[in-house]
Amino acid sequence: MNPRKLFALTRAGIMESLQFRLGTFVTLFANLLYLVLVYYLWKAIYASSGVDVVNGMTFTDTMIYLILATSLFNFLEMFVVWDMSRSIQSGKIILDLLKPMKFRKYTFWSYSGSHVVSFIMTFLPTFVVVMIITHGAIHMGINLLWFIISTVFALIVNFNIEMLVATLCLYTESTWGINIVKETIVLLLSGASIPLAFFPEKLREVVQYLPFRAVYDIPLTILLQKNGSDTIEGLLPMFALQVIWIVILTAAGTLFWNYSVKKITVNGG
Amino acid sequence: MEEMALVMNKVCKDFKVLNRHEGLKGSIQDLFSRDYKTISAVKDVSLEVKRGEIIGYLGPNGAGKSTTIKMMTGVLEPTSGDILVNGKVPYKNRTENCENIGVVFGQRSQLWWSLPLIESFKLLRDIYMVPQKDYENMIELYRSLVDIEPILHKPVRQMSLGQRTLSDILAAFLHNPAIVFLDEPTIGLDVSMKDKIRSLIKGLNKEKNTTVILTTHDMGDVDALCKRIVIIDKGTKIYDNDIEHLKGYFGSYRTLHMKLNDDTWESMLIDEKETDIMDVIMKKQKETKIKDIRLEEISTEEVIKKIYEGVAV
Amino acid sequence: MEGQHVRGLGFYAKLYRKILVQDLKTKMSYRADFIISTFGMIMTNLAGFVTFLILFKNFPTINGWDYYHMLFLYGFSLVALTPVQCFFDNNWNLRFMVYSGDFIKYCFRPVNVFFYFISEVFDVKGLGQLAFGVGTLIYSWIHIGLPVTFMIILKLIVFLITASLFMIALMNAAAATCFWIKNSGYVMVIMFRFKDFAKYPASIFSGIFKIVFTFIIPIAFVAYYPSLVILDPDNVPLLSILSPVLGIIFFWLSYKFWMLGVRKYDFTGS
Repeated sequence: MNPRKLFALTRAGIMESLQFRLGTFVTLFANLLYLVLVYYLWKAIYASSGVDVVNGMTFTDTMIYLILATSLFNFLEMFVVWDMSRSIQSGKIILDLLKPMKFRKYTFWSYSGSHVVSFIMTFLPTFVVVMIITHGAIHMGINLLWFIISTVFALIVNFNIEMLVATLCLYTESTWGINIVKETIVLLLSGASIPLAFFPEKLREVVQYLPFRAVYDIPLTILLQKNGSDTIEGLLPMFALQVIWIVILTAAGTLFWNYSVKKITVNGG
Repeated sequence: MEEMALVMNKVCKDFKVLNRHEGLKGSIQDLFSRDYKTISAVKDVSLEVKRGEIIGYLGPNGAGKSTTIKMMTGVLEPTSGDILVNGKVPYKNRTENCENIGVVFGQRSQLWWSLPLIESFKLLRDIYMVPQKDYENMIELYRSLVDIEPILHKPVRQMSLGQRTLSDILAAFLHNPAIVFLDEPTIGLDVSMKDKIRSLIKGLNKEKNTTVILTTHDMGDVDALCKRIVIIDKGTKIYDNDIEHLKGYFGSYRTLHMKLNDDTWESMLIDEKETDIMDVIMKKQKETKIKDIRLEEISTEEVIKKIYEGVAV
Repeated sequence: MEGQHVRGLGFYAKLYRKILVQDLKTKMSYRADFIISTFGMIMTNLAGFVTFLILFKNFPTINGWDYYHMLFLYGFSLVALTPVQCFFDNNWNLRFMVYSGDFIKYCFRPVNVFFYFISEVFDVKGLGQLAFGVGTLIYSWIHIGLPVTFMIILKLIVFLITASLFMIALMNAAAATCFWIKNSGYVMVIMFRFKDFAKYPASIFSGIFKIVFTFIIPIAFVAYYPSLVILDPDNVPLLSILSPVLGIIFFWLSYKFWMLGVRKYDFTGS
């Protein structure tokens, strides 16, 4: 596949996202307000606990972790499941399937444009604000590079999870139901709503090996240089986990998708 | 009761839209741009429709038809000019206006998607506060005009497009409105369904003396239903009179059909004032053998096409 | 068509009941959807509860609120969120309707557009959340040792309704943004996530944000202020007492905003 063609999809996506104008500012503003909520809650939580460090996380660590998790969430939010179910119910999916490109590939690159925009419009400003407020609590070194690499991995893992769930739309019209289950599980087990460091020991051991952690926890742990990720020995297992899950999920997702498309005749109903 | 079902007086509608720039750089510029332009969708349209009339409201895509209909139904407020529907200003009191109109908008069903048709009817009866007696009479009338039994207990979502359109039209007439607006009611339907829908509209119009404003691209609809047509183009009314009158303008036009040697038919539109038909036939005969010839009056379809193409009337 | 019909509260109540009955009848025929949705609802509530437990395992009190009082607040917020889930769920479809132009169909009936639109969907799975909330509320009620009198139950009901009005207002306003902006999906999603903070005491806010989260995005009223009437009867703040009135005002404002959107929208979607 010609990379120029793929980037053309990215570019089209960027332009489409920018058409949203007023919406872009509103999103930015709403995100900031949400972060304020997170800030006050955890400030109160740490103040009430009377200690500075809980489970290896200081207030600043927790804040950075949660704020960046939130903006990663917005950055990774794809609505693939909703879009898919709509295009199945309207029968539009047929047209997408006829495009001269593998459907999964096409979908991934179509969304990539809005990812670029939301990275610049939401993640980057948030990152800068966090950096200024915390006076350099984020180490500015090679970890930034590792962070970006693992974020790209996270994006692919997340896309694969979305596509797996979206494929279910071929079987049921209960989009709300399957989407909320997915969202709930991903948000809880990836550490997006509460850092994994706070999880009870037993639960953490299990969660550690699941793919959800590869979406939020690993990039953020690498950025904050926790759990030994400032050394190559600490870093490698994390990247390995992400890559292994990418391979497993891509294979499973492709198989499931091809099988389902073959099996189900879409008739717009 | 008002003599006029609908009066429009110098109605204009403008929209403000953002001037979009091209390319990636343009998209970023637009984020902060204040560069708006005004588009006039409807310009100085005046119109009077009598009670019981069926008029065809025609125009090419983007001519301003839907915008006009939206103003008549009270959804949009005109930028200037007055509209009176049943003697009342539609957008001033939307609810009151809605009691006296019925609307079928394209292929968008207005019925409850998952309810059987009869349940939708009952809900509409309650919404419009139709007395039970009138409601029953109306259902009886429906029965006499069209075979509704097969669809009455079917949920709308399971219906074919034709059945859905039929249901929507029936629903629009249920509260016996003074005016019904039909926006492309036969679009996408097969020939027999089109016939069914046309005769249903005609029947309801006759029985209830309902005024019908019909927009369509299908000249079959116009021929079957409308005596009078109104054409707008680029927001301006360019024609408002009988179809026959319109055809009179094109009286010198004939459609010539020739069956050629290879058994194919060739058709052309000829203005007799400018070209002699015999000349055309003879010229053709030099090229190939002509097996058969048929000469027809200009069809409505061709008249409308001529007008859209910019022939002044 | 002679004379204008008057459609009062009774008319709307009767109509809503009829639509609801029809809607429930058809819902019964989609059992798979019902089961999956209910499962999803239980999952979100469980996940919320697990988050709550993990938090309390690490931090035993928050701003002077102990486990059971926090649990009370949590249950209170769940119950208060039920009406928005059950009755106003169609707000989530609003943006799709508006962007596709299908919304116009709601403007052709001689009934209130907001009512007509909202009445279309009754969300059964919201009842699962109600059960979850009521259970939590009763459990914490017993552990805190609150009395059970007629007065206190009456108060509870009044202030639960009050609290739900604020949440309905929030979601109405969030949904109505789609009349002006194109990606209002995000606004709704973020608003919906704001509600997760309703279950924490609003006393954690300070300065300008105390005002913002009390009067502009009133999440402090979704559980905190109304529940203080029950939890701390000797020390009820003025805002708690005023909350029923404020709730009605907020609901009314959000309704007006929604209707303004309908009026301003030019229906050019095709």
